[in-house]
Amino acid sequence: MDYQTLLQLAVGGLLLGAVYALAAAGLNLIFGVMRVVNFAHGDLMILGAYTAFWLYDRGGVNPLLSLTISIPLLFVVGWILQRFLVYRVVGQPPLMSLILLWGVSLVIINAGLFFWTSNVRSVPYFSGGIDLAGIQISRSRGIAFVTALVLSIGVWLFLQRSRWGKAIRATAQSAEMALVCGINVNRVRLLTFGLAAAMAGAAGNLLITILALSPGVGPSFLLKAFAIIVIGGLGSFSGAFIGALVVGLLESFSAFFINAQAADAVIYFALILFLLVRPGGILGQRE
Amino acid sequence: MTKIVIWPGLAVVLIILAVLPFFLPNYRTAFLLITFMYVTLASSWNIIAGYTGYVSFGHAAFFGLGAYTAALLITRLGTHWLLASLVGGVVAALVAVPLGYILLRLRGPYFAISMLGLAAAFEVVANSWVSLTRGGAGLNLPPALNLVQVYFAMGIAMVVVIGLSYRIITSRYGLRLFAIRDDEQAAEVLGINTTLHKVSAFTISAFFPGVVGGFYAWNLAYIDPTSVFRPILSIGMVIMTMFGGIGTVAGPVIGGVLLTVVAEGLWARLPEFHRAAYGVLIVIVVLFMPGGIMTLVRTRGWVPRSWRV
Repeated sequence: MDYQTLLQLAVGGLLLGAVYALAAAGLNLIFGVMRVVNFAHGDLMILGAYTAFWLYDRGGVNPLLSLTISIPLLFVVGWILQRFLVYRVVGQPPLMSLILLWGVSLVIINAGLFFWTSNVRSVPYFSGGIDLAGIQISRSRGIAFVTALVLSIGVWLFLQRSRWGKAIRATAQSAEMALVCGINVNRVRLLTFGLAAAMAGAAGNLLITILALSPGVGPSFLLKAFAIIVIGGLGSFSGAFIGALVVGLLESFSAFFINAQAADAVIYFALILFLLVRPGGILGQRE
Repeated sequence: MTKIVIWPGLAVVLIILAVLPFFLPNYRTAFLLITFMYVTLASSWNIIAGYTGYVSFGHAAFFGLGAYTAALLITRLGTHWLLASLVGGVVAALVAVPLGYILLRLRGPYFAISMLGLAAAFEVVANSWVSLTRGGAGLNLPPALNLVQVYFAMGIAMVVVIGLSYRIITSRYGLRLFAIRDDEQAAEVLGINTTLHKVSAFTISAFFPGVVGGFYAWNLAYIDPTSVFRPILSIGMVIMTMFGGIGTVAGPVIGGVLLTVVAEGLWARLPEFHRAAYGVLIVIVVLFMPGGIMTLVRTRGWVPRSWRV
């Protein structure tokens, strides 16, 4: 094992981590605002991924261009989910919303398997590699990394600077106080779910340029996103990035040293370890 | 009045079920056997999720563990299938003790998702530990020639788990579990050893899936990681129990029987449709009938409130 390979694995993991971070930040947003764990988050990623695949397959569309379709599309999907289903269980015990969204996840997965079959698909639009100071990185990972970073910074700026962003953060702190201050909490929740679903969709859209995905793998990405927000700290936007780096590294190293399937198990053990030892995550406070 | 109707009624049902396999064609017997399996699974899931309040999304982990234990004992050591299945249940229960001790510290969604991950991790192990499990190639068992024997084994497992559910719900032990479900901190303050109760309930709810996992392996004569850890088993336990009525004795039985029959009649040959229909049903149950059929029946007064079923 030489130094070069290790470095290459680390960089590959970090690049992938940024894409996961985008999706995980969405999961975190929904949890922060509504105390709801979006069990269908991984499946929303798959919907974004298959939008990109479909556009590429039919029209050879550049996956970066298809973001302009997958992002609004998933925003609408998230909006609809919140408008018709999730709003009824906000404020109830978190298990109710979790089970509800599990049902939604099953519907999405199996509709996907029905319409697209269980074949793995990818969008090999960006081929080749980039030589970065002696480290070979694939071009698709580099492009996905930069795009995910730009989108995440955009969302972060939106949350920090805009009025709606402020309203979202206020609702996350206390829905009741936000209501008293004249914030339309229901609309904030709709916006939050839409935004988070759009982030998942964008992440999926980028992910399918790197990995081959089948409609059934959503839950595996949910587990990763969940591990990311637990490791990074629930409710912390920047924590998601630290968590994502950890998960990205774990994934690329365990895939290399054990096998590709083992990555899920390793991430799972890291998740359990954090839940038991440091449930507040790296950045969060201790509960 | 209650006892006069209920006990003879149950005895009649049991007698009918006991004679049926001698008259039914094999296909029907096999169908009843699968129904028994799902009722057993749902009832044991109900003990940890319904009584104790810890909803597990990955109970198939114990089913698969039992199936693999039994299959390995049968193929490697030539153990009798009944003994092998019982050992499968014991192994699942033994594994549940340390697991429960660790995972039952997590609450609500954390526990549910950690169990989901556990089933996935078990599947990875079964796939990767090729020297023991032959990985994805699966294990071939000697063919089970006598369907009726497995039918009775599965039926007895079902009767035992239903009886135990009733025994728990009418005991002080069950009351303590309910106390943990309703308010764990208050239960602790009242002097209930919550860890002991949670772990023991989890162990009971892991034992029966392990046993019927063994029966399932013997009956099909072939298992592989995908078939015994498949998510539809975990999904089935959740939706059948919730549809029938979570936290009741009769709920998992009603839900298990109804959904297995409906599934068989309507969509058994379309696996995607089957799972999607369960998904839709989960959404409907959570939104519109969170107490399941049993609550509907109770509020209509069709079942007296004094019946603890």
